[in-house]
Amino acid sequence: MFKKIYTFFASLKLTIFLFLFLAATSILGTLIPQGLNPEQYQELYNPRLFSIFDFFNAFDMYHSWWFTLLLVLLSVNVVFCTFPRIPRIWRLTFRGKKIIDDSIFASSPIRKTIALQKNTPGIEQQSADIIKALVATPVKEEKDGRIYLFAEKGRYSRLGIILVHLSIIFILAGGLIGTIWGFNGQMLIVEGEQSDIVTLFSDAGTKKLDFSVRCSDFAIDFYETGMPKEYRSDVTIIEGEKERISGSIRVNHPLKYGGMKFCQATYGIAGVKNLQIFAKNTTTKDEIILHLNMMKKVSLPESDTFFAIAKFSPDYEGRGPAVLGVVIESDRPHDIFWIFGDNGKTDNQKAGNFTFTLKDFEKIYYTGIQVSRDPGVLLVWFGFVTILAGFILSIFLTHRKMWIRISENQNGGEIKIAATTSGDRKDFEKNLERLLAASVAE
Amino acid sequence: MNDTFIISIVTFIYFFSALTYLTSFIFGTKQLDRAALVVTVVGGIIHTAAIIFRWIHSYRLGIGHAPLSNFYESLVFFSWAIIIVYLIMRKRYSNSLIGAVGMFFAFLPLAYASLSGKVIADIQPLIPALQSNWLISHVISSFLAYACFAISFGSSILYFLKLKSRATFQHILPDLDFFDDITYKMISIGFVLLTLGIITGAAWADCAWGRYWGWDPKETWSLITWLIYGSFLHARLAGGWRGVKMSVISIIGFMAVIFTYLGVNYILSGLHSYL
Ligand code: HEM
Repeated sequence: MFKKIYTFFASLKLTIFLFLFLAATSILGTLIPQGLNPEQYQELYNPRLFSIFDFFNAFDMYHSWWFTLLLVLLSVNVVFCTFPRIPRIWRLTFRGKKIIDDSIFASSPIRKTIALQKNTPGIEQQSADIIKALVATPVKEEKDGRIYLFAEKGRYSRLGIILVHLSIIFILAGGLIGTIWGFNGQMLIVEGEQSDIVTLFSDAGTKKLDFSVRCSDFAIDFYETGMPKEYRSDVTIIEGEKERISGSIRVNHPLKYGGMKFCQATYGIAGVKNLQIFAKNTTTKDEIILHLNMMKKVSLPESDTFFAIAKFSPDYEGRGPAVLGVVIESDRPHDIFWIFGDNGKTDNQKAGNFTFTLKDFEKIYYTGIQVSRDPGVLLVWFGFVTILAGFILSIFLTHRKMWIRISENQNGGEIKIAATTSGDRKDFEKNLERLLAASVAE
Repeated sequence: MNDTFIISIVTFIYFFSALTYLTSFIFGTKQLDRAALVVTVVGGIIHTAAIIFRWIHSYRLGIGHAPLSNFYESLVFFSWAIIIVYLIMRKRYSNSLIGAVGMFFAFLPLAYASLSGKVIADIQPLIPALQSNWLISHVISSFLAYACFAISFGSSILYFLKLKSRATFQHILPDLDFFDDITYKMISIGFVLLTLGIITGAAWADCAWGRYWGWDPKETWSLITWLIYGSFLHARLAGGWRGVKMSVISIIGFMAVIFTYLGVNYILSGLHSYL
């Protein structure tokens, strides 16, 4: 029973099945849009399809219980595959360096015996050269009239594959830790204001931070072509009453604080300030410039009416930036109308005795900062490093060991060759044959 | 003279080189194979010069950045990566037919980039998300991986050609093992480079968006490609699969590569759709 379970989890068939099944389901996940809201899905799919997809969590597939289960199965599979192999690999790597080992000539995967017809001078040098060409400069020992040569190279190569397989466990564990104990969301902060509320991406809930983030300024730089060059939020972290740190957050240059990472994600226009409205009295021909801010009323000259701006539109009906002006008479709105800039495309807005033109304003931006905490990320980086280290060990090193025993007597004698390689055995044998053919031994 | 003009010349050089290789293969002349190699190397040097020229030119325009940032530049770099991988693998597996296929694959992206008219070849400034050194290592390792996979794909196609072709054609083709070996070697190296590409991509995403993995379509498709080639390696190393089955997986794998590179941008959408 245990044997059966063990064989199942240690089987390579399971690995290949999991790889291909994960690939297939991931394809589905890229075809079905992820993370929309229910109404959008109901528009996309008919009710039957919708309920089937919904049943299989197809709308948030990569975080569903069954997808997670597949990843957990893969980790179990890797563990069952890797750990039982470690003792053997350990042995191959660290033991069996005996120079004098007669049994190796009977047991090694690559072995050869060559009979010598007569005494061959220079045979030791030739043997040493062959070992050197295939492996490394050999060491020599003599015992009972026999000469033993041995060399080894690339010892740690086989450890590479262990590292590669263990790294999968680190990466998947790190990912799991991140999803369980981490969070990821966004905070929107209007220039000059502060916030401590993060809207989470996953379940649309919110999270309150122990500190606030104040955005003193948001700026966009443009290239000459009009393409954006840089988005920058200047922020200060405020804990209690204290200002902890200040810095700017740019795309690709996040700010880190309190184990969290703050990335520049989005921005928008929250409103306008320092408005200048050009007002002209059509009867007296008086002209004045009104300086005002949103929702702050000013009185119009030579009349008992007030004026205020209620709204800003960055591009009203395709006619450029506009503000919604309100003329107030005895605290009762008298007239509400859009005021445009002085670009010649639109008539100035008339209200009562006045025409209005939007002269100048400053935009007030809000910045969208992505806030994330991922306690698993270090483990993931560690896994990335170990997988690369493992690849380097197993690709750039090949573990080779080679023994030659020369036994000579009056009538000739024999040469025995043994070798192991973690690389291509056929290749090794081919090269060995080539070298032997070129030597006088054959 | 600007770099896009030089690149369109290189396009023809590669086509010519592919033809020379093909002729060398059909008539079995070693001299033609050497001539084709010379043409390839000359094309490669001009190609490299064009990339460097474009790089310098972008600095003169005051928007300096490595030429790895838009679709045109990626096609040019893809072709360059194929040349590099071909010149390295040729040391071990020199055969005119592989040369012809390799050069044809190097020719295709350039032909599309310079002749289609749909690909914008202007040097554009970098939008903020692309201003990252991780991006450079990400693009280099990914495209070197794609180049390895392209050659393994070519070799798998040739495997089937050998398997199915008539007797008269059979004897001039190398052994099945020859192609099987190339497919395997290219995929193992490609797999390592793809892993590196995914890791550097994750590091970039972590900087730019605060998460190393977000299941956006491009990321997911690179994982799908990785999983397909991963099953290839295991089936071969531990399952002892050879030949037909391996060639089939290799061809499917390359379809996934092409979808990751092009399909995601044209068919699906995601954060990477700037290309
Ligand atoms: C999930 C991610 C996995 C990755 C990325 C991975 C990666 C690799 C790679 C790259 C190789 C080839 C090494 C070489 O070039 O010599 C390999 C070999 C191998 N893997 Fe995996 N593997 C994974 C999972 C597994 C699992 C779950 C098993 C267990 C069934 C397994 C068993 C093996 C075996 C037996 C070999 C052959 C080792 C040899 O020939 O010496 N692998 N793996």
